[in-house]
Amino acid sequence: MAEILHKEGKVIEDISAKFKIAGKAQRERRVWVTIDKDNLIALCNFVKELGFEHLSAISVTDWPEEGTFELTYHLWSYSKKILLTIKTKLDRTDPIVDSVISIWRENAQIHERELHELFGVEFEGNEDLTPLFLEDWDGPPPFRKDFDWKEYVRQQCYDQANERERAYYD
Amino acid sequence: MVEQATKMKRLINAIWIFNWFNSCGFCELVPLVGSRWDMERFGMIITGTPRHADVLFIAGYQTLKSIKRAQVIYEQMPDPKAVIALGACTMSGGMYWDSYNTIKRLADYIPVNIYIPGCPPRPEAVFEACMKIFHHVGAVPPHGRKFAKAHRG
Repeated sequence: MAEILHKEGKVIEDISAKFKIAGKAQRERRVWVTIDKDNLIALCNFVKELGFEHLSAISVTDWPEEGTFELTYHLWSYSKKILLTIKTKLDRTDPIVDSVISIWRENAQIHERELHELFGVEFEGNEDLTPLFLEDWDGPPPFRKDFDWKEYVRQQCYDQANERERAYYD
Repeated sequence: MVEQATKMKRLINAIWIFNWFNSCGFCELVPLVGSRWDMERFGMIITGTPRHADVLFIAGYQTLKSIKRAQVIYEQMPDPKAVIALGACTMSGGMYWDSYNTIKRLADYIPVNIYIPGCPPRPEAVFEACMKIFHHVGAVPPHGRKFAKAHRG
């Protein structure tokens, strides 16, 4: 097993030597790293130099009980053939994080714009966070788990006093 | 109504269609385009631009963003024009009735002439809707008949 995961282990070694964090090689070509948000940009710069030049996706997971947003960056290296996933946590009440647009450029732009729209995460350094799908939206960010979309739709679209629309309130 | 029927008279020779379909929308019209139902034998042709179209086919749910584009398309079409809305989504939002980002009644945004129910509607139902436009023209009141007579010469 150790021989199979040699190149994955090397990536984790390189990262932990510099950032004092533990990584996990889940299986061949699959590596996970968790870091605090202050060191995120430094780590991203470092792994870009290591050869992780492709940002496949950024995603946000909402953990309302913990009061955090979990950001997940999926990175692919064409030379190493490894999918590296970087995770970091943000305070849910104040979700501000540095943008990775200086590192991965257009790769990052569309993802940051979408996550700003759907979760309300602020990406500092990203100039263009205009809405992508939700033009004229004035409600809360809709992908947050505490957003009651059924109630929102009832309020916005259906009239309880209308006999034909009363069923939507049952 | 009479005026509308008179305008429709000019549609009677053929229907040129512009499609504005979201999500699974076009699956409703695909059988019509193919050889089995073959709408071209009735002169129904899909145009590449709304400026050549007589009829706007709208199907699938419309989002708050796409409905604005649909309105622009409708405005670009020359008079006389008709809008045929296909499927459950255009009538009530369909399975997206509780989505925060879709419109619920198409008629609140665009003047719809005929709704075709179904999910998806049968191709026969689409033909029937088009026939209803023709019949509507055929059954026009006296003012319209006078118009038709004048045209027969």
